[in-house]
Amino acid sequence: MSGHKADAKALLDDRGYSGPLIRGENPANLIEKPLQDRITETYYWKEQCFALNEASLCDRAVDMNFIGGTYGQQKASPFLCLVFKLLQLQPEREIVLYYLHNEEGFKYLTALAAFYIRLTFEPVEIYKALEPLLSDYRKLRRRRNDGFMITHMDQFIDDLLTKDRMCGTTLWKLPKRQLLEDLELLDERVSPLADEIEAIDNENDDAREGDESREGSDYER
Amino acid sequence: WDDDEDGELEQVDDTDGVDPEMEYAQWKIRELERVRRDRAAIEEAEKEREEIERRRNLSKEEREAEDRQFIEAQKAEKEGKGQMS
Repeated sequence: MSGHKADAKALLDDRGYSGPLIRGENPANLIEKPLQDRITETYYWKEQCFALNEASLCDRAVDMNFIGGTYGQQKASPFLCLVFKLLQLQPEREIVLYYLHNEEGFKYLTALAAFYIRLTFEPVEIYKALEPLLSDYRKLRRRRNDGFMITHMDQFIDDLLTKDRMCGTTLWKLPKRQLLEDLELLDERVSPLADEIEAIDNENDDAREGDESREGSDYER
Repeated sequence: WDDDEDGELEQVDDTDGVDPEMEYAQWKIRELERVRRDRAAIEEAEKEREEIERRRNLSKEEREAEDRQFIEAQKAEKEGKGQMS
């Protein structure tokens, strides 16, 4: 770490952090301490992340060609390094949303922004920002300890919304969608396939009624 | 930007639009599965609520009788398993 503090000093100085907070905490702590160390140990962090700003970070994100947590000797992925960098930069909301929907179609930049949003936005905002991407089926290369595999944007987003651990990181507990709906903070999610699903449902119902109406079934719906 | 195993990375192709119909169809399956999962979760929660409601409406004696039955069923099961030793 020595020699590098000019860059991440404010974020990583645990003697007394005084920068902006996210959910009442130093944003660095959204990443577990051991993983923080893995990240700041990498050459990628030291060389490629030094003195990045909101604009130059895009260049790095565009060059990314896989997502993932740690691999090999628990080496942190560039993806995690850039997530950590974002936590340090804390770009404005508009910028993050621009990353997410970037017109140029840089999918790894989208994935990076999605992960950052999951870590830092408020629950309702997370669902609102990320759910539209459940219709995005671009391929993502994902690196695991045993090699590379293909996943898809929608799968990645779904994991972010439903899982507790992703990319070697424990995600803070996001309230379930259903709960937010019950509190009337969120509207029910309408799948882009809603029409087709309804058609399937109707078919099934018709079939069922045909089978059971003679027996006077009390099947509801 | 990586220092090792670049060859392995190339083997997994992330190019989009190679077979658009296939890619769409696969997404559709994933989306339908998500909808099914979310619905199942709602039904599960609904069931639990109903069960709680039902128990609340029972009298104290009825509730106790039900619990006794449950415990006895549990005991019977345990004894069945105890045959090993």
